Amino acid sequence: MRRLRVGAQRLAFVAFVLILWEAATGGFGLRPVLDPIIVARPSRAIAELGSYAQSGLLWKDLAATLEAATIGLVLGMVGGVALGLLLGYVRPIAETVEPVLVGLNSLPRIALAPVLIIAFGLGIASKIFLALFTVFFVVFFNTYLGIRSVDPELVRAVRVMGGTRAHLARFVVLPSVFSWIFAALRTSVSFALSGAVVGEFVGSTAGLGYRMTIAAGLLDTNRTYAILLVLMVIAVTLVEIAKRVEDRLLRWRPATALFA
Amino acid sequence: MRISVDHTSIRFGRLEVVTDVSLDVPSGDFVTIVGPSGCGQSTLLNAIAGLLSEADSEVEGGISIDGSSRGTPSRLGYVFQRDTLLPWATLLANVQVGMTIRGIPKPERVRRARDLMKTVGLDEFESYYPHQVSGGMRQRTQLIRSLAYEPEAILMDEPFGALDAQNRMLLQAELLRIWDLRRVTIVFVTHDLAEAIVLGQRVVVMSRRPGRVKRIYEIPLPSPRDPFELRASPQFAQLETRIWGDLRDEFRAGATV
Repeated sequence: MRRLRVGAQRLAFVAFVLILWEAATGGFGLRPVLDPIIVARPSRAIAELGSYAQSGLLWKDLAATLEAATIGLVLGMVGGVALGLLLGYVRPIAETVEPVLVGLNSLPRIALAPVLIIAFGLGIASKIFLALFTVFFVVFFNTYLGIRSVDPELVRAVRVMGGTRAHLARFVVLPSVFSWIFAALRTSVSFALSGAVVGEFVGSTAGLGYRMTIAAGLLDTNRTYAILLVLMVIAVTLVEIAKRVEDRLLRWRPATALFA
Repeated sequence: MRISVDHTSIRFGRLEVVTDVSLDVPSGDFVTIVGPSGCGQSTLLNAIAGLLSEADSEVEGGISIDGSSRGTPSRLGYVFQRDTLLPWATLLANVQVGMTIRGIPKPERVRRARDLMKTVGLDEFESYYPHQVSGGMRQRTQLIRSLAYEPEAILMDEPFGALDAQNRMLLQAELLRIWDLRRVTIVFVTHDLAEAIVLGQRVVVMSRRPGRVKRIYEIPLPSPRDPFELRASPQFAQLETRIWGDLRDEFRAGATV
C-alpha cells in the first residue's frame, strides 16, 4: 500500500515537471519562456525519438555504445581484479608500483580520450579502452583494499583448522575481495557507460555520443534531448540490473553494512 | 591427545606475558584455566595452537602435543571469544569448513554438520547467515564447527565471554554433554571462576602478569554434571570459596596496576 502511494507520488512529480517544462517551452499554445532552440520541448523530443528509431539509426547507435561499454566493463573488471590480486599478494610489486597507480588514478580518466583516439583510431577500440580504464581503477583499488582488509581473525580461524594458503584464498580472501568488487559494481557500470559515451564525443563514427555531438552541432536540440533520454534510460536499467546482481551475491551481508 | 607445556615462558619484546608455566593435560581431560585479565591465558593457548607469530614473540621452553614439539594444528580445534564464522557462508557451510579442509566428501560433510546442528538445536537455521542469528547461536555454531572435523583436542578462549548469563549456562550444559559423549581433550580459558569449576575436571589458577601457574585444583564433582543444579550444591560453594581465596589476591593486585 505504501509502495503504491510512493510510486504514485513519484509518477505525479515527473508528470508535473514535464507539464511545466512543456508549458515553459511553448507547449499547450502558450508563449515560450525558454527558447525551444536552446531547451527542447519534451513532446517534440519524444516525437524526434520516434523518427530516430524508425530510421534505424537509434538501434545501430545503441548497439555501438552498449558494445563498447560492455566489453570495456568486462575487460576492466577482469584486469582490475587480476592486478589487484597480484599486488595484494605480492608485496614487493605493490610497494614498487603503488605510487604510479595512485598517480594514474588521480588523473581524470576522461582526459585520456584524445590520447586513446590517436592510438586506437575512431573505431570502437578507443571507446572500449576508455571504458576499460575508467572501470579498471575502481575495481583494482577495491580488490587491493579488499585483500588488505581481510579480517585477520578469520584467517587465524581457518589456519587453526589446518587450512593451507589455498584454503585461505577460497574461504576467506576471495569472498572478502569479491564483496568489495561487487559493492563497486554499480559504480563500475555507470563509469563504463560514461567512458564509452565520452569516447564517442571526442572522435567516432557511430554511437549515441557521436550522434549527440552531431545533433548539438546542428543545434538540433530535439534530437540531443532525445538521446539524453535514451542514455538516462539505459543507465537506470543497467544500474538496476547491477544492483539486483549485487543484492543477490551479497545477500549474506547485514542490511546495515557500511558500504551498502 | 596429550598436551604438555614444560617450563614455558613467552615474551613479546620486553614484555613477559607468561613465566615458567608447566601444565600437563592428558588425553580426554577437561582443564579450565582461570585468572585475571592480562595473565597470559590467551597467549598460552595461542602458543599451544601454533598461532603466535615468530616475528614478534619469543617462546622459551617446550610445548609438545603427543610428544612431538611442532604441533600439527589441524588436529586441534579452537573456539575464539569473538565470533569468527565466515559472514558470507550459511551456518551449515560454516560448520563444514574444517571438514572440507580435511578432504571429507560432501555427502558425509553435510550429514555430520546436520547431525551436530541438531544436537545444539540449530537444525532449523542451517541456511541462515551468521548476521541473521543471535550471539548464542553463533557461538553454538563455532563450537560445533570445531567439533565437526573431530580434532583430538579443542582449545577454547573464553568462548562464552560475550553471552548473557542464561545463554552462558545453556552452552556450558551443552558443552559438558558433548564432552561426555566424545571425551575429547579440552583446554578452556575463562575469567569466570564458577564457569571454570562447573566445566573443568581440573582448574588451573594463574597469577596476574607475568602469568604463572599458581595452583591446580582437582574438581571431584561427579560426571555428568548439570551446571544449573551444580551451582546450588554445597560442594560447589566449598570449592568456589577455596579457589577464590587464591584467586582474589591476583584480581586485587591486578586492579591496582
